[in-house]
Amino acid sequence: MFGSTLLRREFPIFNYNPQLIYLDSAATSHKPSRVIDGITDFYKKENSSIHRGVYELAARATQKYESVRQKVSNFIGAQKTSEIIYTSGTTSAINLVAQSFLAPRLKGGDRVIVSALEHHANLIPWQMACKKAGAQLKIIPIDDFGNIDLNAFKQLLTSRTKLVAVTHVSNVLGTMIPISEMIEMAHQQGVPVLVDGAQSAAHYPIDVKMLDCDFFTFSGHKIFGPTGIGILYGKADLLAEMEPCKYGGDMIRRVTYQETTFADAPQKFEAGTTNIAGVIGLGYAIDFINRFDKKEMSDFIADLGAYTRSALLGIEGLSILGDTQKKSGIVSFTLDGIHPHDIATFLGEYNIAIRAGHHCAQPLMALFGVPATSRISFSIYNNRKEVDFLVEKLKAIQQFLA
Amino acid sequence: MTERLKQLYKTIILKHNNEPCQFEKREEAQYKLEAYNPLCGDHFHLYLNLEENLIKQISFFGYGCAISKAATSVLVKQMEGLDLDSAQALCLEFEKVIQSDQIHNKGNEAFEAFGAVKEFPARLPCVKLSWMEMTNFLKDQLSNKKSASDQ
Repeated sequence: MFGSTLLRREFPIFNYNPQLIYLDSAATSHKPSRVIDGITDFYKKENSSIHRGVYELAARATQKYESVRQKVSNFIGAQKTSEIIYTSGTTSAINLVAQSFLAPRLKGGDRVIVSALEHHANLIPWQMACKKAGAQLKIIPIDDFGNIDLNAFKQLLTSRTKLVAVTHVSNVLGTMIPISEMIEMAHQQGVPVLVDGAQSAAHYPIDVKMLDCDFFTFSGHKIFGPTGIGILYGKADLLAEMEPCKYGGDMIRRVTYQETTFADAPQKFEAGTTNIAGVIGLGYAIDFINRFDKKEMSDFIADLGAYTRSALLGIEGLSILGDTQKKSGIVSFTLDGIHPHDIATFLGEYNIAIRAGHHCAQPLMALFGVPATSRISFSIYNNRKEVDFLVEKLKAIQQFLA
Repeated sequence: MTERLKQLYKTIILKHNNEPCQFEKREEAQYKLEAYNPLCGDHFHLYLNLEENLIKQISFFGYGCAISKAATSVLVKQMEGLDLDSAQALCLEFEKVIQSDQIHNKGNEAFEAFGAVKEFPARLPCVKLSWMEMTNFLKDQLSNKKSASDQ
């Protein structure tokens, strides 16, 4: 079923680009018709502002918008819809936590811990917060295979640690972080944990209550939904303590010319007219994913990743970056003497879409001593035949550019 | 290999990529320009020595894709020995070749090869990387010389 022609037909992009071999889902996923049509239908038939009108159209739009909050809550195993905040994406969700949760708590001499694997979105907000407060940003080391050094992590947790922020799946190496263990270790020291689920939410079962993470973030556009919408999950008691940092309509209880009291979560963090159509699209994307067994989905992706690694290692001069044992559907590699940009251009001529560059992880690139890599990332519309074709063309590039 | 790829990676570009001209670090150079694209990691330094109005010595070093490396190699090869005005004219010519819809026909074989980049707009930043830094450098140099002579 996964990777089949039948499933690919549900994605219009493949009807308009039948030759497309899309190996860049870690950047953004393609959208099934149901999501695209759902957004268009909303604008055609139900479009209205939410939370404000009392007329029928507004009531329907509001109900639809809020029903997605329940869908998201179920999707990630949250307990309350008030723990689900709509943002514009993972990046804005993380920045919200940095500004509203961390900044008021962070003093000089305190500590924030992130891993060496982080995307710039889960590194720079903490860097800036630490610089402003005179706090330390500590980096959990990784081994040559891209695995987290859990002993080192344990050593880094001190009484002055105010937050741990880690990715669930590395967008470069595909490493799956042992977040359950790390959350438990952090909580033993009373340290809250934010998990960046941008690369895990699409394909892996998420249960924030079982994980007991304090915050979880992900983006709609990486889970078959539209761009411009993302989710911050936060534990209710933490969200209750957090002050908003964006102000305007909808997030208030009472306003005078001189004073304002704010609404409760989630509204207090959703100022202004949010991306209503984006939320609607996200709802349809979750409906789409819910048709499938997530365990089967993650097994399929892992299998494709393993097949690819094995095939790539048969190419002379090719090195896989951090060939982690905890495999996912993301593979980064270098090819001796050939820059990733040239590889991507060549493959692009054969309708193979891969990503080339530093993948918003410059420190990680520097750690591995490479300025850039080529990255392949899979989703449920990929299959082994595409991998075979990729390998054939990679060998052809070597011949041409040698 | 597709015709488009063959056009882009003509022999001349592959040659400059594999055997770049003046490919050496010269930290002691009079001027050191940095050509860096943070999006892809292409990163070169250009090392220049000027004598009066002439580019007496120029070399480059760094890491980049075949297009950016070849473009930088062609730059250093064609710039050495030029006076600043001629160098600036060459930069303008190069910009025309890679941006304009007209086919370049002035007999600069290397420039003609880079004209094919127009078919690959995502690679324009690669081909322009060092040339833009050189353009900015020459603009400053010529403007300083003009201010000095106006006084």
